[in-house]
Amino acid sequence: MDVQEARESRLTVERRSGIVDVDVHPVPRSADEIRAYLPMPWRDRYQGERRSFFNNPVHGSRLDSVPPGGGVKGSDPDFLREQLIDSYGVAYAILISRTFCNIHPDPDYAAAIAAAFNEWLAETWLGDYNHDGAFKGSITVAQQDPLRAVAEIERWAEHPHMVQVTMDSGARAPFGQRLYYPIYEACERHGLPLSIHPGTEGMGINHQPTPGYPTHYIEWHCSMSLSFQAHLVSLLTEGVFERFPGLRIVLVECGVAWLAPLMWRLDAYWKALRSEIPWVRKPPSEYLRDHLRLGTQPLERPDEDRHFLALMEMVDAEHLLMFSSDYPHWDFDSPARAFPKLPDALRDAIFGGNARALYELDG
Amino acid sequence: MTAYVVGRTSEIPPGGRKLVEVGGRSIGVFNIEGTFHALRNACPHQGAPLCLGSIQGTAEESRPGEYRWGREGRILRCPWHGWEFDITTGRSVFNPHRTRVRQYRLTVESRGESPQDPTVETYEVTVDDGVVVLHV
Repeated sequence: MDVQEARESRLTVERRSGIVDVDVHPVPRSADEIRAYLPMPWRDRYQGERRSFFNNPVHGSRLDSVPPGGGVKGSDPDFLREQLIDSYGVAYAILISRTFCNIHPDPDYAAAIAAAFNEWLAETWLGDYNHDGAFKGSITVAQQDPLRAVAEIERWAEHPHMVQVTMDSGARAPFGQRLYYPIYEACERHGLPLSIHPGTEGMGINHQPTPGYPTHYIEWHCSMSLSFQAHLVSLLTEGVFERFPGLRIVLVECGVAWLAPLMWRLDAYWKALRSEIPWVRKPPSEYLRDHLRLGTQPLERPDEDRHFLALMEMVDAEHLLMFSSDYPHWDFDSPARAFPKLPDALRDAIFGGNARALYELDG
Repeated sequence: MTAYVVGRTSEIPPGGRKLVEVGGRSIGVFNIEGTFHALRNACPHQGAPLCLGSIQGTAEESRPGEYRWGREGRILRCPWHGWEFDITTGRSVFNPHRTRVRQYRLTVESRGESPQDPTVETYEVTVDDGVVVLHV
């Protein structure tokens, strides 16, 4: 082993003992980077489309995430290492590409965008940029055509650094409905968790989680957690976890505080209405430990830390929560500052233990 | 309290800023319409490098549907979460009484005189150009 190898080996060992961040965004340097992976006719068509409304009126990404040499925020892996991995002792960053593929009415175009981002991710952040193994990736799928999504999962399932599948919470139907089942079956078959990320609510072909469109970004942004609540109630009541007992769902960037009262409410209704959904064989909340994890960002912080600690108990944080920063986006949660002081066991679970177990990061 | 020379006044024109490291602290020095202000370069929220934020005005409190733009050039917006602070007071816009960023005292020693504080290092100045001195 030469010096360089030894150094890398040491780094890898050190990183394995650090934080796991389950929502980090690798950003292409330009639309051309993605276009290079698109076949015709999509290559000429793709302009790097994102959502065209409800953009943050202040700034969408941390202003200090511009790489020192210039360029797009979050596009330089070395600078990301400096600002996130090295600054906070992050062992693994779980990368989720923001493709916006699920806003498109054309399912073939959407699938092509997802495929191009996956190839780009595999070659760059999970390949050339990943000398230390700190980056783990997510297979993006467009849910417009679930069978195409399954083919995309098959394509990457054996990749050593692809640790999950991801799709957006912006949707045409709640995620418990049957049209999505091919995706869940493929995730279960390959042992890949499915991470659900917001950002395309009400955009393109997707419904808003509100009754009609909201007026302001703050309203839209705050309401995104409503779509997760609707998806989770749907997944539980439709019996998705009975049908796919190996399926694990990760909800990221929806906060966590809503989970407790929603489950109290759903459990209470289940006592009266279980006969309507007889396949739900236990209180819905009892499916969570086996099937659900939540990224912590954007973390709700009551003024009183004792309220926060009580909340952690109410949402079963020790089993369900995984730290996420959302780097480089504007509502980044600092690993050092987002949380108050936590009991050691709880901190270890949230900042690494739960994610290591879910993604089998320790081999 | 120790005094540190930040630089010549001409280095920080109105609307400009300079970041300095003094005594292990990162501090931003701002020139608002000819008056200098110093703020700690750490947002009280999550510790972001506040003084790298954008400098602008703000939509002041108003009636629903009305917009009243004010304090142009005086509002520093955190580069992470966008919290707004008035550079001249260090106070946040959303809760000026409870959420503030630490301010430091500044003096301008002008016209080539020796700095009033003898601990200040020697700094050559011209007749038209003073030095900005930070008291930490």
